[in-house]
Amino acid sequence: MKNNIRIERAIKDITQADLAERVGVSRQTINSIESNKYIPSTVLALKIARVFSKTVEEIFQLEKNDL
Amino acid sequence: MRPNYLFPFNTRYFGIALVLIHIPVKLIWDALYPSGYNHLHSTPTDSPDFLFSPPHLFFIGTTLMVLVGLFLVAFSRERVEDEQITQLRLDSLRWAIYVNYGILLFSLIFTYGQEVYHILLLNIWLPLLFFILRFQWVLYRLNRSARSNDSDSHS
Repeated sequence: MKNNIRIERAIKDITQADLAERVGVSRQTINSIESNKYIPSTVLALKIARVFSKTVEEIFQLEKNDL
Repeated sequence: MRPNYLFPFNTRYFGIALVLIHIPVKLIWDALYPSGYNHLHSTPTDSPDFLFSPPHLFFIGTTLMVLVGLFLVAFSRERVEDEQITQLRLDSLRWAIYVNYGILLFSLIFTYGQEVYHILLLNIWLPLLFFILRFQWVLYRLNRSARSNDSDSHS
């Protein structure tokens, strides 16, 4: 699964720490998600999408090896 | 969110203290009673004195200190206990169980008699210790990769 959190963060001009605080996780977790090392739970994915006022599919997309 | 049944963050310090205190206590005891450990095994387990014999009480006391100490260190919350930490925790726990049963099976096959008893003593604290080391190691790597990404984005 890939995501464009880093891009969305840049658009909204917020840091990893800001995003982490808003969704209630550690900054390391946001960092792991951005570098595709950790796949967030559905709840967390929904929370992240809400911060950017987008749908989950706009932030997270399936990749070939997920299918 | 489901409750995670972990101890508060600060209980880890109490746990570390218990483990550290146990070391000099054990050393002093061994220096005072060099035969203490052997005495434990020479008292017949069916004698009424066994349960309250000083070596047995000491053994139970120190074992409890180490066990409770390791337990508190292993199962105290991280500063931010989020879902990734929970996953790393469970991962480490699985590895600890694998390693523990691997060693247990291996040693049950290749040892017998008194040695099996020592292996069982080892198994009291080995899974907890392995879990703590493995968990702290992955946390350290997690922090390091987060930091290195930081310096990448600043440069």
